[in-house]
Amino acid sequence: MNAPHPPSQPSALRIRQLSVNYDKNPVLWDISLEVPAGKLVGIIGPNGAGKSTLIKAILGLVTPISGKVEFFNKPLKEVRLRVAYVPQRESVDWDFPITVRDLVLMGRYGRIGLFNWPRQADREAAERCLEMVDMLPYANRQISQLSGGQQQRTFIARALLQEADIYFMDEPFAGIDLATEAIIMDILRQLKSKGKTVFIVHHDLNTVEEYFDWVIMLNMHLVACGSVLQAFNPDTLNAAYGKSYALFDEALKLSQQKSSGII
Amino acid sequence: MGASLIDYFTDAVLRGPTIGSMLMCLAASLIGVIIFLRKQSLLGEALSHAAYPGVIIGVICAGLILEDDVNDAATAIFILLGAFCTALLGLVAINWLERGFKIRTDSALCFALSVFFGIGLTLASDVQFSFPALYRQAQSYLYGQASTMMDVHIIIYGALAIVVILTTLLLGKELQTITFNRDFAKSIGMKVSAIDAIIFILTALSVVIGIRSVGVVLMSAMLIAPAAAARQYTNNFHIMLLLAGLFGVISGFFGNYISVELSQYLAIRYPGSRLAMPTGPTIVLVASSICFLSLLFAPGRGLLLRLMRVTYFRHRCIRENILKTLWRFDQDFDRDKNIPFEHILQYQSVSRLYLHCILLSLIREGWLGKSQSNVYRLTSDGRKKASQIVRLHRLWEVYLADYVGIGAERVHHNAEEMEHIITPELERELTRLLKDPQVDPHRQRIPPMNANMDGI
Repeated sequence: MNAPHPPSQPSALRIRQLSVNYDKNPVLWDISLEVPAGKLVGIIGPNGAGKSTLIKAILGLVTPISGKVEFFNKPLKEVRLRVAYVPQRESVDWDFPITVRDLVLMGRYGRIGLFNWPRQADREAAERCLEMVDMLPYANRQISQLSGGQQQRTFIARALLQEADIYFMDEPFAGIDLATEAIIMDILRQLKSKGKTVFIVHHDLNTVEEYFDWVIMLNMHLVACGSVLQAFNPDTLNAAYGKSYALFDEALKLSQQKSSGII
Repeated sequence: MGASLIDYFTDAVLRGPTIGSMLMCLAASLIGVIIFLRKQSLLGEALSHAAYPGVIIGVICAGLILEDDVNDAATAIFILLGAFCTALLGLVAINWLERGFKIRTDSALCFALSVFFGIGLTLASDVQFSFPALYRQAQSYLYGQASTMMDVHIIIYGALAIVVILTTLLLGKELQTITFNRDFAKSIGMKVSAIDAIIFILTALSVVIGIRSVGVVLMSAMLIAPAAAARQYTNNFHIMLLLAGLFGVISGFFGNYISVELSQYLAIRYPGSRLAMPTGPTIVLVASSICFLSLLFAPGRGLLLRLMRVTYFRHRCIRENILKTLWRFDQDFDRDKNIPFEHILQYQSVSRLYLHCILLSLIREGWLGKSQSNVYRLTSDGRKKASQIVRLHRLWEVYLADYVGIGAERVHHNAEEMEHIITPELERELTRLLKDPQVDPHRQRIPPMNANMDGI
């Protein structure tokens, strides 16, 4: 199930036996995988499969009950500045008083550190990122006045400003217009050509082959992880989305309820 | 009467309450901005009510430990310590209810608020008879007693205000990021739990120290009202902090000023009735009035201003519709036809009086002329303006029918709205996109752009 990678460079991401068990969140069960650098990776699976939970567990936003995650053979806290996260659009309070420009500038906060203020160089870098996503005309606008696609582009500009080597994006293509989708894909391809690795939680199976060259298929457990040619085929799709594995899901849910005393 | 404004800052009796309140309100309003943006506005309420049993316990301890040495300053220290402890205990209880029992935040806050306050009131009724002298001091924390503040309070509040200002300055971007996008803040390595703890401690401190002047019952207003008012004026986090601080300081000052002046005035005017304006509630009233006025009148977001803009826009729509009606009469019958009032009234759904007023204002502005009494005609300027509106209407219909795919029978209604909204830039874009169409979906002629007209 796991495709081998060239042993010359360390994998961008290596996960060993990651399990997450949360009362409200879906369960992740014994995930182990390896992804080489320089790929556009689609994380796909049915609703409730744990795709967002996987990203959150990888980034330490959710505590797993077991497992180990490494980036280029190092733990997260050593390589934090090389990892960027684009959260789901709904997880944010869009009424917050902040302009597009200031939101993008947040991308530098990790680098700036405590007690320091952004400087002129940081601001100019933010301007360049805004230009890359075609949001410069809206730089001074309050974020609640943006459309969905514009909000997503602003988020992506923030991630670009972080100048990371690995990017995690949670459903960036949900609810946006075609023009924005094209802009985002263009940026992703540019990132890949520079050797960056991008992980994207994706929901549209029709575009997987066009957009990605590596795929992680999840349904609470790992169904497949490998190049799109090898891992994305009717067998694995059936395993992830099909009814024959529904029994497995049901058993997992029962186990979850039992251990929290609901039944 | 006759204390001048400067006296409020220099006079030994007045300066304690005035400067002390101003500093306390400054600290509370800055922290309040953060609480407000984190959507935890009820937290101030819960904390101040949770502090109350601590006040009573502090009083009991002061009475028991100090016995005959009891004095105001020592009691105050006991009270503050007690209040701070129970406020933090309240926070712990709220967290425990949320995490351990899975109770929703608002329920947990209300539960903690009522239980702690109830315990406090029960203890208070007990203290009433065991330590009657101290009881009065404890009760003054319920509604605040700013007027007895001394210079030492200025120092305490000044220190608190400095701590709060420094925190918001040094941790400004962390506070902003954590409040706006907590997961992102964690992902870039910000110490979210530590900063949460700092916010809670500063809130508890501001609340506990603030209840001396404004009281337990009203303290949460001083956290939230300046923040809510400031939000109306800006979309910038730092300017919001500045404005909230300003509103807080203004409330602190004028609360004292009005309460002193008004109490003196009432004492002179109605000597027998012993009316007075207590300081604490007056400060809250000033802050709430600023908030209320901001909600109504702030440029941009103010409610009344928005209503005015909407009303003006609807008025403009009706006027343009009347011009359109007259223009259609022009087109259907012969040029320069004079239209009687009753005809115009038939096509509008407004009252006669309103219609008379609109027609008068249209004449005054030069779009209409009056040939005899109650008979109207378009001027040449009016004709150009009306044909422009009709052009926008029919252009939009073409766009909806050909590009968006809406059936010809349904485009009219939407176009009735859009004809008043389309800007000249949009019109140029539409003309270019649709390749300057000459007829609309109903086979009616589309008037040419005004720039191309050659004086009909």
